[in-house]
Amino acid sequence: MNLTAATYFDGISSIPQQIELTLDELQGQLEFKTSIGFNEWGIEEISVEQFGNTLEIRHNDNKVALIKVNNPDFIAEFLGLLKQKGQLGWYHIFIHLGIKAHILIAVLILGLIVGGYFLIIPWVAEKAVLIIPEKYDASLGQTFFTEYVTKNNVDSAKTNTLNEFAAELKLNNSKQLHFTVVQSDIVNAFALPDGNIVVYTALLDKMKAYDELAGLIGHEVIHVNNRHTMKMLCRNLSGYIFISVVLTDVNGIMAVIADNARNLESLSFSRQFEQEADVQGTELMIQNGINPKGMTTLFTRLKSEEKVLVPTFISSHPMTDDRIKYINELIKDKPSFSTENKRLTELFQEIKN
Amino acid sequence: MENESTEVKSYKLSFNGNGSTFFGIVVVNWLLSVITLSIYYPWAKAKQLKYMYSSTTLNDDSFAFNGTGKEMFKGYIKTLVIFGLLFAIFGVFTYYEMPTLGILVLYFGLFTIMPIAIHGSYRYRMSRSTWRGIRFGYRGDRTELMLNFFKWIFFTIISLGIYGSWMEMNLRSYLIGNIRMGDVEFRYKGKGLDYFLLGLKGFLLTLITLGIYSFWFYKSLFEYYVNNISAYKDGKEITFKSKATASDMFNLLFVNYIILIFTLGLGYAWVVTRTMNLVFSRIQLEGDIDLDSIQQTEADYTDATGEDMSDFLNIDFIM
Repeated sequence: MNLTAATYFDGISSIPQQIELTLDELQGQLEFKTSIGFNEWGIEEISVEQFGNTLEIRHNDNKVALIKVNNPDFIAEFLGLLKQKGQLGWYHIFIHLGIKAHILIAVLILGLIVGGYFLIIPWVAEKAVLIIPEKYDASLGQTFFTEYVTKNNVDSAKTNTLNEFAAELKLNNSKQLHFTVVQSDIVNAFALPDGNIVVYTALLDKMKAYDELAGLIGHEVIHVNNRHTMKMLCRNLSGYIFISVVLTDVNGIMAVIADNARNLESLSFSRQFEQEADVQGTELMIQNGINPKGMTTLFTRLKSEEKVLVPTFISSHPMTDDRIKYINELIKDKPSFSTENKRLTELFQEIKN
Repeated sequence: MENESTEVKSYKLSFNGNGSTFFGIVVVNWLLSVITLSIYYPWAKAKQLKYMYSSTTLNDDSFAFNGTGKEMFKGYIKTLVIFGLLFAIFGVFTYYEMPTLGILVLYFGLFTIMPIAIHGSYRYRMSRSTWRGIRFGYRGDRTELMLNFFKWIFFTIISLGIYGSWMEMNLRSYLIGNIRMGDVEFRYKGKGLDYFLLGLKGFLLTLITLGIYSFWFYKSLFEYYVNNISAYKDGKEITFKSKATASDMFNLLFVNYIILIFTLGLGYAWVVTRTMNLVFSRIQLEGDIDLDSIQQTEADYTDATGEDMSDFLNIDFIM
């Protein structure tokens, strides 16, 4: 038997009623008397909540009536009984783990999310790309091509020559490649997932030898061959799904942080794909008997452009100095390529004129 | 038993929640949401609301939120179905190459859902809120609110947004004016013109002072909200008054910002409790209503669909 003074609200008016509350441990019930009559609340019929030093007890059938208890000894005894009878669930245990355990859980979840980004998402994306039919790559590239490229000033003569130039090379491509030269002051080139590769005249103007052009083609072709665009899309999409599923809106700020992490990580994937294109593009050059130095010469020329292209260039691509360094590392043991390819030289001169 | 005295009573509102306890709730919610792929969301919300309500006290007796995760989960499912249907209709129109009509239907649907969501959310939230076992209630009429809402939206659009201030005040008056706590009625007497001028002045001075005035602006917005609320019962009254200062606002917002930045968002729990603490400690109540004499008058209402729809639309009108 355990006895305490408590306050009772009957759910009819706001008048606090002072009651004597008895805990009958044998019967497993709370007993108290009000002006109306005697009440027995079985401990399986009640729900409790503790806030600071106050325990609020409500009857499950009549949620508005409540008893408030402030006596710490009584509360301890009563909660002990509830625990013993299995009335305090796992939630109660979780909540009372203490701040250190809670911080630990938070950090672990944060770690899981970061791990998810860098391990699970790339893996899922890689698998997803295998399932997606290549015809999606084709329609995606085609849409972009008709929407943007055809509206530009296409140089058809140079386009033809560039296609002839590329036809001289063995590019290990599974898709039909098509090159387009666009008149523009912007130093740029890009590959679309359907095999369309677009080169701007300003970039061609920068080049001084055919091996540089071969380097550029090698780089862009690897983007197509390895389906980099689709992989990028899959990674971004799975990143978004990951955020919305895992975080919902339980803590909106977390979602913002996670989203920023996603952007950063997306850039690092982009850099990873660029490096892959550089390395495998250089290998393509070697296979075709073209001096791989052309790749580094191209980067050196692009480096002088960087002032203009900062900051997107730097963030989505590796630093130019790094690119030159790892290409040099790759080709340092290779024999030198002194023989000049006459046909490619001719075609290159034609493009330059 | 009735206490008929008209003497001035003393009231005390306060918030006793603390950041570390709330942090525990947030973290456990977060963990369970991750494990259940966010199906736990309605229960998580119930836990947060329960803590917020019960940490708020009036004359040392706490408020309580009696809603449950199960109720809100049912509402959540209904909401998913409603929004799903709306987007499906939009999809059908787009598929048959009538995107303009599809967008019109979508916007019309969303604008119709808004007042329904607000109404449902108020009914649910109020009915599930109690103080000393006395239920709050919301007595607004859905059709009336919808008609008003469309009218206000229409005026706001044709006045290029200027009427927005009037709309906000009208809506607030309607919502608060229909709130009951047992037989206590609430009223809000803010006016569109005053609110518009307040906003205009705040905007201009904030601009001129390069943002420094914003703390005075927040202070006056809070003041305008609080000072226009009052409660009535049997010819007796309680008035609400803000004691917040611009430096309170600075301390709150600046420190909250610092906390969020330096804890990578983990300090969210402290930001919430600091804010609640400031809000409730700066509201002063004066009047002669006897808080021991409030009678239970409001019925139970367990449909949480409006509450969940408000979440979907990201509108939070709850006072």
